[in-house]
Amino acid sequence: MSRAKRLLRTYLGAERSMRLKQFAKRSYLRSLSVLDKVPRRRVGAPDSRKTDILWLDLGDFGDLLFPLGAQEKWQDHGLGLLRTILHREGIATEIRSTRAMQSVEQLRREVRGYRVLLMNVRSYTFPMARKAAEIFKQENPGGLVLTGGMHASVAPDEMREVTHFDKICAGGGETVIVPLVKDPTAFPRFFAGDGTASMAEWPAIDRTLFPQPAGWLLRRRYRWPLEPDCGWGPSPVATILTSRVCPWQCSFCNESSYIPSMSRRPVVAVIDELNGLDARYGVGSVVIHDSMFFQDPSWLRELVDQYPRRARKLWPYWAAARADTVREWPDLFEALVRETNWNTISIGFESGSDRVLKLLNKECTEEDNDFAIELVNRLGDDLERRGRKPPVFWCNVILGVPGETREDAFKTMRMIKRMKRVMPSVAFYAPYPGSALGHQLIAEGKSLMSKDNYHRFPGDEKVKGIDYPFYRDLLAGKYAAEVNRGLDRQSRAREAASPDSLAKA
Amino acid sequence: MSSFTGRHTMYLFAMKNGKKKLAYGESPEGALEILRYRLTAEEMAQIVVEDYVKIHQRDLQKHVPDLG
Repeated sequence: MSRAKRLLRTYLGAERSMRLKQFAKRSYLRSLSVLDKVPRRRVGAPDSRKTDILWLDLGDFGDLLFPLGAQEKWQDHGLGLLRTILHREGIATEIRSTRAMQSVEQLRREVRGYRVLLMNVRSYTFPMARKAAEIFKQENPGGLVLTGGMHASVAPDEMREVTHFDKICAGGGETVIVPLVKDPTAFPRFFAGDGTASMAEWPAIDRTLFPQPAGWLLRRRYRWPLEPDCGWGPSPVATILTSRVCPWQCSFCNESSYIPSMSRRPVVAVIDELNGLDARYGVGSVVIHDSMFFQDPSWLRELVDQYPRRARKLWPYWAAARADTVREWPDLFEALVRETNWNTISIGFESGSDRVLKLLNKECTEEDNDFAIELVNRLGDDLERRGRKPPVFWCNVILGVPGETREDAFKTMRMIKRMKRVMPSVAFYAPYPGSALGHQLIAEGKSLMSKDNYHRFPGDEKVKGIDYPFYRDLLAGKYAAEVNRGLDRQSRAREAASPDSLAKA
Repeated sequence: MSSFTGRHTMYLFAMKNGKKKLAYGESPEGALEILRYRLTAEEMAQIVVEDYVKIHQRDLQKHVPDLG
C-alpha cells in the first residue's frame, strides 16, 4: 500500500472513529441528562404483551440500530441462558434492549406497564441499569427490579446503594432465576447466587430469545438470531462459549476471584450446538467467547480429534490464547490451527515490554510473545503456500498502564509490526473494580472511572497521571522513527496500530 | 517468567497509615520491585516492607476495603 493510501486510510479511520465516539458520547450524555425533563405519564400495558415481566438488555443507545461497529451488537449469553431457563419452566418474559433504542424517552415508553424488570448488570452497563431502574420505578410504582450480573460480584456496595434495585443476586443465576422470579419475596435484598458446577448442565440457548435489532432490514443484515460479522469471519456469526473463567491472575482482570470455576462444556455438545445452528440458520463463522480458549490440553486434543469428523463444516473461528500457553503446547496449537480452522487467533499480548507485563501480572515474557509471533508467522506462510487462508492475529494490547515508559510503548508497537498478519486491538488501560490493579488504583485515588461513568468509550482517559496525548500521537504515527528502531526492513514497512485500532476497554 | 515456570503470588503489604498495598510477583522482593515501577518514592516509603501476608487470588475481593 502506498504511503498516500496509508495516510488516507489512517485519516479516514481516525475521522470515522471520532464521529462514532462523538455520537456514542452524545447519546450517552443525553441519556443521563434528559431524564428529569421528560414528563411522567402512566399508561397500561399494550394488548400485545403476553407477560408483565420484562428483561431489559443493556448497552449503549443505538448499538442495535446503526450498522456501524460489530462487537457492540454481540448478544449477551448470560441473558440468553437465563431467559432460556425461565422459558423452559413456563415463565415467559418480554425482551427490550436499550441498544435498540435511541433515547431515554423511548426507554420510558418501553418499560411502561410492566410488573417486574430483570437486568444482567456489568460494570460498563451499570450507569444505564441505574437509570433504567429509576425510570421503571417512576413508570411502574410498586414494580419490582431484579438484578444480577458481574457488577454485583465486583462492586456490591455500588449495587446496594441503588435503592431502585429491589433484589440483587451476586454470583451465578442459573439455579436461582426461576425461584427468584416466581417468588421474589422469598429472597433477601442482596443474596449470593448459585451457578452450576459444570457447563454441561446448561441448556442450549434458545437464540430467538436474544433481543432483535430494530427493524426487519437490520435483522436481515445482522442475520438475527445469529450475529453480524466484524471482520473476523464470514457472516452470520455464531458466538459460543466452551469454557468459563480464566484461571490466570492478570491484574487487569482477575476474573477467577469473582467467578467460581466451572467444568468445561463437553466437546461433543459444542460441536452439536454448532451443527444445530448451521442446520437452522446457516453458520458463516464462529466466535468462541471463552476468556481463555487455549487451556486444558486434554479437552483441546479431543476437539482436534472430534471436530474435523463430526462438524458439518470447518467454520473459521476466533478464539483466545496466551503467548505462554502457545509456547508450552506448540504442537497442539499448530494442530488446532491446521485441523480445526482456527483462523483468527486472539492473543492477549498486552505489551511488548517485560516491565509492563510484570505490572499487569501477565506471567508472560517478551520471549513468550516472540515465540508465538514467529510460530504464527511461519504457520501462515506455510498455509498460504498450500493455497489456504493464513491465520491472523487479533492482537490485544494495553497502552497507558501506570508505570509504563515511552520506551515500553515503543516496544509494544515494534512487537505488533513483527506480526505478518495482524488486526491490532488497542485499549487504554481501564481500572475496573474486580481486578487487582483496578481496586488498588481506585483505593489510591488514581482512577478517573467512577460508578457514574463506567463505560467502554475507547479514547477516554481512565487513569490520573497518564500522558494520553503521547499515546494519541503514538497511534497517529508521530513516533515512527522510534518505533522502527531495530526492526528489519519488512517489519518497518508494516503498519503498526492506528487511532482506528483503539477498542472498547 | 512464564506462568509455567514460576507462578506469581499476591501479597498484601502493611502501610504506615493502617491500610494495605496489594502487590504481586515471584517473591515479596519482586513484588515490591514491580510496585516501584509505578509508585513514587514517597508512596513506596509508606509501605512496611517486612510486614506482608500472601493471599490467594480467590480471596482478593475480601481485602478490597483494606486497600490504600
